[in-house]
Order: sequence, then C-alpha cells, then structure tokens
Amino acid sequence: MPKLKVEDLEKISEKVKRTMLLREGTGRAKIIVHMGTCGIAAGARNIMTALLKEIEDKDIKDVILTTSSCAGLCSREPMITVEVQGQPPVKYVDLTPEKVREIFAKHVLLGEIVKEYALAFGSERVA
Amino acid sequence: MAYRTNLMLCTCTMCVSVGALKIKRKIEEEIKRHNLEDEIQIIPVGSSWLCTRGPTLIVQPDDVVYQFLKEDDIPHLVEEHLLKGRPVKSLMYIHPETLHPIEKLHQIPFYRQQRLITLRNRGMIDPDKIEECIARDGYKALAKVLKSMTPEEVIQEIKDSGLRGRGGAGFPTGRKWEVCRAVKGSPKYVVCNADEGDPGAFMDRSIIEADPHAVLEGMAIGAYAIGASEGYIYIRIEYPLAIKRLERAILEARDYGLLGENILGAGFSFEAHVFKGAGAFVCGEETSLLASIESKPPEPRTRPPYPAQSGLWEKPTNINNVETWANVAAIINQGAKWFSEIGTETSKGTKVFSLAGNINNAGLVEVPMGITLREMVYDIGGGIPNGKKFKAVQIGGPSGGVVPDSLLDLPIDYERLQEAGAIMGSGGMVVVDEDTCMVDFAKYFLIFTNDESCGKCTSCREGSAAMLEILTRITEGKGEEGDIEFLEELGEAVKEASQCGLGQTLSNPVLSALMHFRDEFEAHIKYKKCPAFVCKDLITYSIDPDKCTGCGLCLKQCPADAITGKLKKPHQIDDSNCIKCGVCRDSCKAKAVILKDRFDK
Amino acid sequence: MEEKIRGSVLVVGGGIAGIQAALDLADSGFKVYLAEKGPSIGGVMAQLDKTFPTNDCAMCILAPKLVSTGRHPNIKLITNAEIEELTGKAGNFTVSVKKNPRYVDESKCTGCGLCVENCPVRKAIYPVEKVEVKLGPQDLERMKKIITEYKNKEGALLPALHDINIGYSYLPENILRYISEELDLPLSLVYQIATFYNAFSLKPKGKYTINVCMGTACYVKGGNRIVESFERALGIKVGNTTEDLMFGLETISCFGCCGQAPVVVVNEDLYGHFRATKVPQLIKSYSETPKKAGMEVGNAEVKG
Repeated sequence: MPKLKVEDLEKISEKVKRTMLLREGTGRAKIIVHMGTCGIAAGARNIMTALLKEIEDKDIKDVILTTSSCAGLCSREPMITVEVQGQPPVKYVDLTPEKVREIFAKHVLLGEIVKEYALAFGSERVA
Repeated sequence: MAYRTNLMLCTCTMCVSVGALKIKRKIEEEIKRHNLEDEIQIIPVGSSWLCTRGPTLIVQPDDVVYQFLKEDDIPHLVEEHLLKGRPVKSLMYIHPETLHPIEKLHQIPFYRQQRLITLRNRGMIDPDKIEECIARDGYKALAKVLKSMTPEEVIQEIKDSGLRGRGGAGFPTGRKWEVCRAVKGSPKYVVCNADEGDPGAFMDRSIIEADPHAVLEGMAIGAYAIGASEGYIYIRIEYPLAIKRLERAILEARDYGLLGENILGAGFSFEAHVFKGAGAFVCGEETSLLASIESKPPEPRTRPPYPAQSGLWEKPTNINNVETWANVAAIINQGAKWFSEIGTETSKGTKVFSLAGNINNAGLVEVPMGITLREMVYDIGGGIPNGKKFKAVQIGGPSGGVVPDSLLDLPIDYERLQEAGAIMGSGGMVVVDEDTCMVDFAKYFLIFTNDESCGKCTSCREGSAAMLEILTRITEGKGEEGDIEFLEELGEAVKEASQCGLGQTLSNPVLSALMHFRDEFEAHIKYKKCPAFVCKDLITYSIDPDKCTGCGLCLKQCPADAITGKLKKPHQIDDSNCIKCGVCRDSCKAKAVILKDRFDK
Repeated sequence: MEEKIRGSVLVVGGGIAGIQAALDLADSGFKVYLAEKGPSIGGVMAQLDKTFPTNDCAMCILAPKLVSTGRHPNIKLITNAEIEELTGKAGNFTVSVKKNPRYVDESKCTGCGLCVENCPVRKAIYPVEKVEVKLGPQDLERMKKIITEYKNKEGALLPALHDINIGYSYLPENILRYISEELDLPLSLVYQIATFYNAFSLKPKGKYTINVCMGTACYVKGGNRIVESFERALGIKVGNTTEDLMFGLETISCFGCCGQAPVVVVNEDLYGHFRATKVPQLIKSYSETPKKAGMEVGNAEVKG
C-alpha cells in the first residue's frame, strides 16, 4: 500500500490553504520572518526573538508567527511580511528589534500600516 | 499551479443574510460562461473587515474591493474586470491607492519585472513544512506525471518547453533526458548539481532554502522520465542552512510517501540523498562532481563518454542544475506551451540571477529571458549607490566576463551574452563601479582559478599561474610593453588546451577585461597609474590640509603609525610608513584623506 | 675460457640509479640488460614530487629517462624478473633470471590503468602490509561509529572525512592512517582527498574560525581589506591559527550572502555589511565572553 494517494494530496492542500490564507478565523494576523542565510546574516534571528518576546509578553494567542525564505531583496534584509486578516500582506524592510516592536503594536494589533518601514503591499507575481 | 485570480467572497452571517450565496452562484455561472474556471477561483472567506458593506468581494492580486453587490452587477463585473482586466469603478468600495498609502509590491521597480517560476514559493511558504508546499501545488505535477503520463510524454513535454540547462552551458534539458533514457544500463541515476562554486552567485542556495521540494519534485519527475530510482543532490558544505532544509525536506517527503517505495501508488520508487561537497570549485564540473561522490580524486575526465552514457559508478546518469530541476514541475503543471511563450527565440522561460556588488538593490531576481542588462542594473538594481559611476557588470563569475556600459542594452540570452564575451553561467551578476580597478579585478579571478585548478591539465595549472604572475606584475607597476599581447596569447592557449570547463573559461575574465578596458591595462603599464586608485604600489595617501579638522581619528586608527599631527591642526601621512590599508580614509569624517598617483608621468 | 670482455652488461634494479647506469652504458656501446623486480621501471623516484636538494620536479627529470630507456636500441628491459643465480667473475658472468608471468599481453597493453582500478581484490600494484594504528580509547570510540557506518561501502571516504572533521574540527594524522587501514583504502588516496578540499585541514583549528568571504561581491566591497585588518589584529596570516588556539583566520570563496557583502563568518555566526573598522570589536567580543560570544553587528543600526 502506498502511504499517500493522489486524493490525499488534494485534501492536505485544501486543509493547509485555509490556514495559510488566514481564513476561517485561524488567526488575526500572520507574521512571516524571512530567514534565508542572507536574512540571518543581517540579523533576522534578533527579529524573530523580539517578535517571540512580544507575543509572549502581551500573551497573544491568535497571531501566527512563522518563517520563510529570503524574499529576494537581500540588501534590505532583515525583512518580515505582516498579513492582517482581510488585508493584503505588507513587506517591511531594514528592520531592527525596535522597529519590529513598533510594527507589532501598530500593524499587527491595530491594523495600521507603519508607513516609514514598509516597502510595499501585495505579493509577487507568479508567472 | 495557482489560479490567476482569487475572488475572496465574504460568506459571513451578515453577508449571507444580504445574499452572498446568490452572488456566489451567479459568479460561478458567469465564470463558466467565459470559460475562466481554470484561471479564477472563488474562495469563501469569513468576516472580512467591511461586513457592513456586504456582500463584499475582494479581487486578488488586484486588491480591488467591491461592495453592496447585486446579482445584476455580476455579468458586467465579470466581463469587465475578470475578462478584460478593467476594474469596475462604480462598484468599488474605495480605490486601493487610498486604502493603502504604500506602493504595491509588484509595482515597485525591484519586483516589477520579476516573474516567478522556480522561486514560485519564495517567501510564501515555510520551507520546513511540506504541507505548506503541497498547499501551493507542490507534488501536483508528480501526481499528474505518475497518473497520466508515460516517460516519453514527460520527455516530450520538457523538450517542447525549450527548457535549457541553467547551470551555464544551456544544453537542452529534454534532449539530455532522452539520451539518458535511451542508454541501456541499470540502475540509472539522477543528480542535482548544487555545488554553486561561483563566487558572487547564490541562486541555488536561495532556491533550496526557499523551496527544497521544488527541486525534489523535479528530480522525481526526471527520474521517472529516464527510468532512474535513485538521486543525489551534491551541495556545497558552505551552505549549512540549505543542507539542513533539504535534509528535512527529504525526511518529510519520505514520511508522506512522496519519496521512497511505490510513490502515490503508481509503482514508481525514488530515493534521494544529500551529498555534501567539501569546498572545491572544480566539483561543479559534472565529471569531477561524479568522481567526488564516488570518493575518487575529483578531477574532470574526458568526455565522451558523457555521464548519460557512463556516469555515477559507470551507470547512465543525468545531471542537472538546481534551477533546471526547479523548473520541471511548473512546466508539467502549466504545460510546455505556456513555458515556451516566456523568453526569447532561443532561450525560454525565466532565469534567476543574483544581483550583487556595488548596486542599490542587491538580491535575487527571477526575470524572463531577454530582459536587457540595463533594466537589470538600473530598474531592478536601482543603480549605483553613493552617486558613483557604473563601470561594468561581471556575469558568470570566474568563467564569465565583464560587460561595459556600451553593451548594456544587450538582451540576456545564452547566445547574445556569448557574443559579448561573457557567459550566462549560473547567473551571478556583480556590478562594479568606478572604484574598481579592472586589472585588479581580473587578477582577483585568476587568484581564484589558480587556487581552484585541480592541476590535472598543465595548461590550466601553469597557464593560470603564468597569467597571474603577469597581472601581479602589472598591478605592481612592473608591467612591460608586450604584456597585454602575451596575456591574450596565453589566454587563448589555456582555452584551447584545457580539458574541462574550469580551464577552458578561466581566461575569460582577463580577455573580456582586455577587450573592453584595454586602456586601464595600458595606463598601468605605460604610465604606472591605476585610474581607479586601487593598486597599492601605484598610489599614495595624503591629507588635504584645507579639509583636515585635526580630529585625530585617523591617527588613532592607523595601524602603521604613519600619521602625525597635533590636535586641531592638519595631520600628515608619512608615505614611507604607510601600508595603504585605507583605514584613515574610512574613518575620516571630513573626507580629507585623498588618493593620488604615485608616479606623475 | 677467454678473458675477453664480451660487451654486455646486466643492470639489476630499474630505479633512477639503474636507469642512469643503463643509459650511460648503452650510450657507450654496451648491450644492456636492465632487470627489475616490479612490473615497470622508475622505482621510488617516480613516486616523489620533488628531489633534494634543488627541489626539482622529480617526474620532469625521470620521465625523459624512462622514455629513452624504453626506446634505446642497446637496452633490453626485463621486468617482473628476479635474479636466481649468478656465476663467473668480473668480465664474464652467467646469470639466470626468472621472469615472472605478467598475465597481460605486453604488446597490446597501453598501460591505461583501468584494469587496476577495477580489480576487486586489491587496488594496489605492490602488496601493502597491514600496519596497526594505535588510538586512544576516546578516539577509538568515535571511530567505531564511523567505521561501522562506512565499511565496505562505495564512495564512503568523503562522507567519512566529513564526519571526522565534525568531531575533531580537523583531520588528525593518526586518524587518517587508521581509517586508511580500516576502510581498506590506500593512505595516498586518503591524503589526496583530505588535502584536495578546502573544507579540510590537517592542522588543528582555533576555537573560533574567522572566515572572511572573498566572493566577488565581497571583494568589490573591500573584502581583501578586511582580511588584511584581521591579519594585523591577530598577528597571523590567512590559513593560520593564533598561538593560544583561540582564532583561526581563513578566507572562503563565497558564502552566497552577496546581498550583505562584505561578509564575515565566525564558526556559525554570520556578520553582514562588515567593515574593517569593526575588526577589533569582533575579536574582543569573542575573546572576552567565551560563553555568550558574538556581537550584534548584523543589525541595520551598525550598517552605516
């Protein structure tokens, strides 16, 4: 017996899509820390630590914190993507732990984009 | 593959109460009528933030929000917006521009021209979670292949797509697979070349770090096509994170049965192994890579026999680059026709480049073939920082060459770059500004290749050393009349007489620099001048007394005690002690440290 | 018995001495028989890289002589042969030579070496005696795992060396000898692989290895000046380790972090946008607080 059938593949896909696209009340917001080698070299670990601490300190349960790879613009690392439910994702660049704390308080919790640190919103074009 | 457009229709209690479900049915009807089912999907979402204006519909990725929708609006809306691409203003809640005070990601210059195929999941998924990859159509192509395609059909599809090897040479991938499939011998192997040795290139690392499954899926499809059941990924030891993610990805895929025995119940088995390199540039060459996996001295050997005929453990082996493998699943999912419509006549699809050096936006870009270098440097790269002047862009690392300003309008494809004396290579692009000395830059590459030459061919081993010696002499101001001609002759000889790619291309950086920046070489030789003020033996450091504020910072930092002066008085540099380390120039806030020619001729 | 010199000479041993003697004699008109125990002439010198005292390339001296010997009309090579009996006196010897069978048609063999490589019994032309390498109990414990994992596996050497390198952070000589014996691989091959790759060192490394990236992007952004600064600050040249075994200084061809150029890596900590003026601070941070070493230079605030 094979471990997985083609139909199972589709089921997994459907299930995870929901959580990934922040639907069905899985969370208020999702934060992606871009942690490729380049991001880490620029200090992405400190950003991650700062965010973890914020979440813990403020005892927040409905924010998903996750990692992903480099978003391409290596010279502006560290980068994060913040996606608040119902809004398109916003990419922040050139971050420091201080900036991240501000973004967390304003954008993640209140839904206001922090313009000064933001690069752009939306996602990349997939061919 | 993802849908072109996602319609996020709010189906919260409030919106349903005002008819959201009717709207949904109507949209489905309209989409069907226009045959857009494969391009557009409706995603019911729960309570968006504007439910008082329901029923609402958000069109992604356009970020257009429609409000107070009625059934009668739908045919018009679908036709105008979804078919013709013109958002219906009268139905919009507010313009996205006012909704979002910042720019759209794919409108800012760095991202505008990018089209993601191999990097389709970058920044989107957690590479350590296979489920997220599956949610973005990971392993869908493998399922399609195993369920409904014969190996011959897969090969035909890849051939039709026009995909060429992304490692540098650009050999048609489909043809390579076909040859390997036709050769008798068992077992067969597939190998992924992730030994990205080119200094200044990081595409392979990023692809693996972003989406290791794209590579694994591609390899599994390739293995099915050529009749292999085992694969190796040869990856540099310098990429610990990529290795970690890849190893994890293999474990996860194995857990799900997407690698291993009887994948998806189709009777096809495939196992992948990570093989760590140990820091040798020559291992990027396919025959020496295979020797390295066999734990033999990693020296290239003559071809034929090609690896397709006699490769790993003398069995038929198909080697492709990381990027090539990562393209495979997308081609299977979206079809050869779709892929072949992107790019130029001879070079199809997209290419990932790593843009670095003296440039504002350094990073990883995936662009359709045929884009010009000028667009790469100025639009995507955002130009040169600190108001410096652009000098050249180095393409293809130690095997490639420099492209000067005059050739910037060259479209990027395999053939055109070769005509300009550079190569596509794996896709490393390093931009240099006016502060880079082209002689020194050529020397840098020869130091590298001379060090990395495996030593098997005399032409490469001794030729690189001889060229390096001459270049070193020139940078020391000891260049002689005739050096340039000798370099050219030597360069051609090394090209002719070496066995593998390393030797055959190692003179490219020198020859292309000579082709485009001959005057700089001449300045070094005839006038003993380094126009970029880089070569230490040809320059002097001094302090402009008018600008010096006498802060004493340089004096404190100078490791050679070559600076003297009293506080608040102009300082001086003693040329006989100065080691030209440049620390004073870096630390001076008044920009008073200036560079001059040592020999005024 | 006639006392006349017959004009033919037997040279025993086809090393450089035998070859030179044979050539000189043959040139002066003697018929020379050159007998060699092994399958080919050349001897020890063929295995050497350089020769004392001039450091001349051994093969460059030897190779032309090998060719001349093989082609000389006055020299007859008798390889795979041993002297069985010698009678007579100076000027008139009778020798009986036993030529061992070669099992290979000499007129057809091109000496390509493929059969040697593929012979499953022993990949050495000369029989190698087994040498016992003694290891301490700790080393033995470590090696046991590696040997059981890789014994009798094809292509095991490089992965095995990786494992050793992870354990010791360099490749100790006695360990290399040990695995050569245990994995039944020629020591020359083990050394060839161990010295070929940049990732391996035969010398102990410092507690912290400072790797300065010299990729193209890092180079154009001043990587070599950072190297020079480290050399001055640590008082060592690239490729060496400080006397207290704290710091090793190395360059690497590219970390693939070109967006952050120039890059410095200390063990596993990456520092992007590095500058020569940060060198003393970095060294200090590692020498002072050995437990929680490293500094936050990677952040944007120290970039500019």
